[in-house]
Amino acid sequence: MKQNLKVALMATSLILMPAVGFTDTADGDALNKMSWDQVVELGKGGEVNWFLWGGSDNINQYVSEHLGGRLKNEYGITLNRVGLSDTVEAVNIVLGEKESGVMDAGSVDMIWINGENFRTMKQGGLAYCGYTDILPNNTFVNWDNPAIANDFGVPVEGCEVPWSKAQFAFAYDTARFDNPPKSIGELIDWVKQNPGRFTYPAPPDFNGSVFVRHVFYHAAGGVDSLLGDFDQVKFDAAAAKTWDILNDMEPNLWRKGKTYPASISAMEQLYANREVDLTFNYEPSSVGLNIENGTFPPTTQGYGLMDGTIGNTNYTIIPFNSPNKAAALVLQNLLLSGEAQYEKARPDVWGAAPAIEVARTSVNVQANFATIVAHPNVAPAAELAKAALPELQASWISAIEKGWMASVGR
Amino acid sequence: MSDRMKIFLLILPAMFIIVVLFFGGLLIGLMRSFNYMPVIGLTEPDFSAYISVFTDKEFYLSFLLTFHIAFTSTVISSILAIGAALLLRRNFVGRRIVNFLFQLNLTVPHLVGAIGMLYLFSQSGSFARLANEFGMIQGPSDFPALVFDPYAIGIILQYVWKEIPFIGVIVLANMQSIGEDYESVARSLGASKWQTFRFVLLPLIFPGVLSASVMVFAFTFGAYEIPAILGANFPAALPVLAYRKYTDVDLAARPEAMAMAIVIALLSALMIYFYVRYSRRRIRG
Amino acid sequence: MSNRESVSIRSFRVLTGVFLITWLILPLIPLAIWSFAHGWFYPDLLPQTWSLRAWKYALSDTAGVIDSLWLTIGISLAATVLSILVGVPAGRALGMYKFRGKEIVELMILAPTIVPGIAVVLGIHSVFISLGLNNTVWGVILVHLIPTLPYMVLVMAGIFANYDPAFEAQARSLGASSLKTFWYVTLPAIRPGIIVGGLFAFLVSWSQYILTLLIGGGRVETLPLLLFNFATSGRNDITGAIGMIYILPGIVILLLTAKHLSGRSGAVGGFGQI
Repeated sequence: MKQNLKVALMATSLILMPAVGFTDTADGDALNKMSWDQVVELGKGGEVNWFLWGGSDNINQYVSEHLGGRLKNEYGITLNRVGLSDTVEAVNIVLGEKESGVMDAGSVDMIWINGENFRTMKQGGLAYCGYTDILPNNTFVNWDNPAIANDFGVPVEGCEVPWSKAQFAFAYDTARFDNPPKSIGELIDWVKQNPGRFTYPAPPDFNGSVFVRHVFYHAAGGVDSLLGDFDQVKFDAAAAKTWDILNDMEPNLWRKGKTYPASISAMEQLYANREVDLTFNYEPSSVGLNIENGTFPPTTQGYGLMDGTIGNTNYTIIPFNSPNKAAALVLQNLLLSGEAQYEKARPDVWGAAPAIEVARTSVNVQANFATIVAHPNVAPAAELAKAALPELQASWISAIEKGWMASVGR
Repeated sequence: MSDRMKIFLLILPAMFIIVVLFFGGLLIGLMRSFNYMPVIGLTEPDFSAYISVFTDKEFYLSFLLTFHIAFTSTVISSILAIGAALLLRRNFVGRRIVNFLFQLNLTVPHLVGAIGMLYLFSQSGSFARLANEFGMIQGPSDFPALVFDPYAIGIILQYVWKEIPFIGVIVLANMQSIGEDYESVARSLGASKWQTFRFVLLPLIFPGVLSASVMVFAFTFGAYEIPAILGANFPAALPVLAYRKYTDVDLAARPEAMAMAIVIALLSALMIYFYVRYSRRRIRG
Repeated sequence: MSNRESVSIRSFRVLTGVFLITWLILPLIPLAIWSFAHGWFYPDLLPQTWSLRAWKYALSDTAGVIDSLWLTIGISLAATVLSILVGVPAGRALGMYKFRGKEIVELMILAPTIVPGIAVVLGIHSVFISLGLNNTVWGVILVHLIPTLPYMVLVMAGIFANYDPAFEAQARSLGASSLKTFWYVTLPAIRPGIIVGGLFAFLVSWSQYILTLLIGGGRVETLPLLLFNFATSGRNDITGAIGMIYILPGIVILLLTAKHLSGRSGAVGGFGQI
């Protein structure tokens, strides 16, 4: 009863107050009990501080202009995009704030996140949970799909909302050679025959890490035996083979494996400048974007692997101590909308695959999706999806990363 | 108002800022490196962070690499800066431009220079492309590895690029305020150019060179962004390693980062100590 | 003093001069070229396609580059002004007086020039979170004071060491108030020091990276942070444009204060005086 009184008073004062009075909506539990209209009212005129990887000007523009514009025009909400070099920076901010007792005046309202970072937040009690049913556009999400209901094996359980799907793909330069290696096995041979022409970013770089997982799956003879909780015995068996493969590969890598590129961007630079001949990325549309912005030679062609590549879903999360939860909820609802997911899927904007079921959206949106012509140099998403491999649980991933750093990275 | 009171009030604001922010920060870092932070409930200091750090091979490799970077950069910059200052003392065609560029270099942040060095000296950088153009190399891998390399050549080049003007401007100003009278006297008494330099000028400018070198050593030892852009992955420079540990999702790494930071501070304190002792002796002697 | 140098020595000087000139501007050239390039791949000496896209992006509203420029200028100016306000009195005390414990005070104030920022900022970071100074512009300005203040004090101590307080005494004896004395007698005499010290303080704050990164928490995005982000994400064209923008204010300020940097003004000599 007291909650409703509070809400009523706030709503009344909002209606009576002119224009830009926004309320501090740090109380997530209260929001969870409200109707969507009430939440929108609370969020109007407010602001959202969204922390996300800032290394792509396409994504920056999509977020700041398209999403920020819609938020401003339709709800009067100001979107503050904060660019990061690494998502873990935002997680660390929330972590540090919790440690220092900052419980409802956090500086982070939303993070673009998945995988181990999500696990850190969920297990550390850093996430605001239980609100997803309030979002009207949540009906577009297929929560029955285990690839969406679980983020790298950790059950989402209402603590985050999906944004895009991604699937790992390779790329090569058609002007330099034909017949790139089409499986991990072929890659291993290819590296031997082409010394110094391949490398991968050192884990825990996101892309380097998933590459190592592909080798791990190959060493284990397929991912099916690895699914489920972390198993030390299975891990040790597969890990031993994996480190052998990668250590054998090392002398034939770029710089004889004495150093690895620090990040995926560093590796992409090496590829573009002919220091290495293959590249890869968890976001296959980046090939198209990179060609358009001059980072990649225009003859670059993306492709998938015959034995499949790993795919994942990425999400947005609201920290427990965000003071702008209502506005953040409005933003998340917007992110799930058919229009926003379509705009993001356009190859000239981003080319990111939707995380919602397009079939559940309006007829207009479905028609729009049908008009999308993928960038010719990008590995076709439908093709990749036919051979999509799941991610393992996050504990496998940290073990693999630590193992690489101890057994290969030195 | 007594003199003592006056002095106290004059230095009070500066001391307050330094004590609270600088020494306070060091103290908190020290405490946290011992896992001792009563405010959030850690009341049992322990050495676990230091044990982890000092038993980690990566730490020693990083330390050695960083020391090598700092030492080599400082020595090369100091020697060449003295040479540059000697050059700029006298008039010659283009002296104005060089002088101006020296000062201009002071305003260019290290980060910009580091990125520029990357574009110039990577195996597919401008120099490599020039070499390719003249048929000296077949492909990028034939060009020597100057960036992301174990000897940190690119990093040292970048520091030398920035620190020669820094030390040079200071030394030049020193030389100009000292004047050339001492040297004239020495020359008129029959000393050779080298002897004049070695026994007259050098001792006079040495204090300035030393204090500038100490600053350069400290900076090159503790800088983060330049090795982050130009350095190899393993071993990484110590500040890069410390930052990596601090931002590790595994919170247990944080005290280790603090421990590394304290080691960096201790080494610098050691530098101050040797500088103070050595320079006082020289000045008195 | 013999002004007659042999031809070989003179030509050596000119040659070294030419080498130095090239060497000093060399790293800036690929940055400038990149800002006008649309793709510049090995082994091309010059880009095959030129474009103004990087500049258009850098100067656009959504990129936030211009906002970042003003923010960085604001922070550096604030840090400089604060350093002057605090550093001038301290420099006066250290330059003009002898007192017990002076060496210790000098060492303490100069310690930040020798102890790198990373050693200190990790500790400050946790305190600032509790104080709510994290992720704020004022928090960043405060931390910038740590490296800028010592330079200011150093320069001012050097100036005050050569300063004769007799003029002040004269002015006071003629009836001038403290304020008037300061404004008309002291200030003009120490102005070169304030300018040089201010220049160094501004440049130190202007190029700060790790301090702003940790204390600003990504919310205070100064130009060096923006530049680093684009440099490490491989967008060399935008990196070039932002790099050019980033070095501009420093150059402008230098042009305005250049004459004070030679030894004749006695301000830079302060660096050798500790």
